Amino acid sequence: MLALLSNFTLIAYACATGLALAYLVQREEIVHRLASLATLAGWIAHSIALIALVVESGRPPLASLSQAVSTAVWVVVAVTLLVERQYRMPALGAFVMPVVLILSLKASAAKPATLEQLGIAFRGAWVWVHIALAMIGIAAFVLNFAGAVMYLLQERQLKAKRPGTFYYRLPDLQTLDRLTYRTLALGFPFLTTGLILGALWARTAWGGVLTFDPLATLSFLAWAVYALTLAGRAVAGLHGRRAAYFAVLGFGVLVLTLSAGFFLPGRHGS
Amino acid sequence: MPLFIAGLNHRSAPVGMREQLAVEDDKLRELIRDVHATGAVREAVVISTCNRVEVYAIADAPGEARTAVFRRLCQHRGVDPGAVEPLLYTHLDDEAVRHAFRVASSLDSMMVGEPQILGQVKDAFALAQACETVGPTLHTLFSQAFAVAKKVRTETDIARHAVSVSFAAVELARKIFAGLTGRAVLLVGAGKMSELAAKHLVDQGAFPIYVVNRTWSRAQEMARALAGTAVPWDELEAALGAVDIVVTSTGATAPVIRRDRVQQVMHGRRGRPLFFIDIAVPRDVEPDVQTLDDVYCYDIDDLKQVVDANLRERAREAQRAESLVEREVAKFSARLRDVEVVPTIVSLRQRLESIRRAELERALARVPDAAPATRDAMEALSSAIVNKILHAPITKLRESSRAGAGRSWTTLVQELFGLGRTP
Repeated sequence: MLALLSNFTLIAYACATGLALAYLVQREEIVHRLASLATLAGWIAHSIALIALVVESGRPPLASLSQAVSTAVWVVVAVTLLVERQYRMPALGAFVMPVVLILSLKASAAKPATLEQLGIAFRGAWVWVHIALAMIGIAAFVLNFAGAVMYLLQERQLKAKRPGTFYYRLPDLQTLDRLTYRTLALGFPFLTTGLILGALWARTAWGGVLTFDPLATLSFLAWAVYALTLAGRAVAGLHGRRAAYFAVLGFGVLVLTLSAGFFLPGRHGS
Repeated sequence: MPLFIAGLNHRSAPVGMREQLAVEDDKLRELIRDVHATGAVREAVVISTCNRVEVYAIADAPGEARTAVFRRLCQHRGVDPGAVEPLLYTHLDDEAVRHAFRVASSLDSMMVGEPQILGQVKDAFALAQACETVGPTLHTLFSQAFAVAKKVRTETDIARHAVSVSFAAVELARKIFAGLTGRAVLLVGAGKMSELAAKHLVDQGAFPIYVVNRTWSRAQEMARALAGTAVPWDELEAALGAVDIVVTSTGATAPVIRRDRVQQVMHGRRGRPLFFIDIAVPRDVEPDVQTLDDVYCYDIDDLKQVVDANLRERAREAQRAESLVEREVAKFSARLRDVEVVPTIVSLRQRLESIRRAELERALARVPDAAPATRDAMEALSSAIVNKILHAPITKLRESSRAGAGRSWTTLVQELFGLGRTP
């Protein structure tokens, strides 16, 4: 049942990705409606799957990295559907859904680590808070990345003076820059608190903050990139194209971080 | 009841002829009443704009009706009918429906997607209604044409993108800034074109407006016209720091806004974009300001390029609109034809059913003690006979309506069965 739901979710997200990209090129209203419909269908199946998981395991749907990422994806999809509707940004899906699809595929491809394997690690409430906060941060950074990519494309078209698909479909530069800034300002505190909790708890569980773990190490690198960007934006007037490059870089490291968690041996499972 | 449209438009007739035939509302009223009074048409709407003169009408003999209408129009305008005749086109039935939908949706316009035509069609329709020359068929046709036009407007981007240079500039500004409300505009030079662009920006909420010009009096004059502020020429640079959009149109032979100065100005702007609309030839802004971050500079050629892209975009959207109209025509024609035969089918059924009921009652009255089984059998027998008789004419009516010949067949069936008269 759970497998069926997950498969359906994946297929729906894949359809939504294809349709959202087709909408950028085709610009048929119907294609956008179908993309939204596929996204919604996937999200509903996803919701049921998560509820089923909670009922079955009796724990929050964060008990392994793949579960946690899946939950983060669920948040991203919900926010995207809302933002598309609320802020009349129909092109957003085309930039978020591919990321959603990749993350979902990764999450489903990784071997689900069981709690027993993680052993001692899952005692105490703080670990859940650590995971939940980190995932909210990641959800915000997916949107941060989408905003940055849209900014770069729109800026390029405006500078090149040759209006094309992106010129017609994407919102204005200031709105996109604001979206990128806000998602960064939102995601960063969550990521920070999540990482601090993780570090503190690693010391209790394994007796050292820097016990080597690929995910932990890379996540500090991602944090550093985001910290630098936020500081630059807040103090040094970093904005626009440069800030967007940083957002793309930060997200690249973040994806690397999650990949390490999925595919390299370490404390975060796999 | 044949629907037809006859007329001439910007493709079929030269502007000289269109000018001569264009009629103002008073005359149009007179004309439409005259034509209707002759009895050549049952219903009529006449549209007269600078790009088309067309009559939309219901008439038994479209050819004669067309001649009658245009002969009268030529009389009104003092034009030789012989010169007009070869310029006319006629659309019948489905073709006419398609034409009406295309005209209302601005697909038949000289500038495809221009928004005025729908209003003009609505006015013409209202005028004909006031003259009481609109009957049920034209009423249905025009209501549907308005609905289709609205659908085209909302479901395609046919009229969305600017096709004039000054509007294209406004549209670009809207892709750089999050809304134009409260964006400050600086006009450098006081040309007609920059005034037009500034007006469009003001319409979108841009405020305040500053005007810089070498001739102080001209700056003041233009500032007054735009409810703006005149700024002395030597404060140009200071003004650059304070505004978001700069429209330049001076007659200077060398650029008046240099890259290094803009670079300095940008330092103090904390990332606020600066958009130059340079409509002067030779250009007023050094083209390489474009290489600066957050600076966007479009000269007249760039703007024309944007307009061209918008026109291509419009053409593409027009294609989508055409297929939308095509679907609507198919739907509407089917409806129109059904409207033609359905009442006849209904009254035919009612007629035979009432005969059957009456005869059945009489027969049953003659055998009062018939068993229920016998009564049922009589009932079934009569129904079967009626249905078998009805089958052929109803099928024929439906077929004829699909083939577009519904009218002659409905008349025939009505005559044969004495429909429309009390039995």
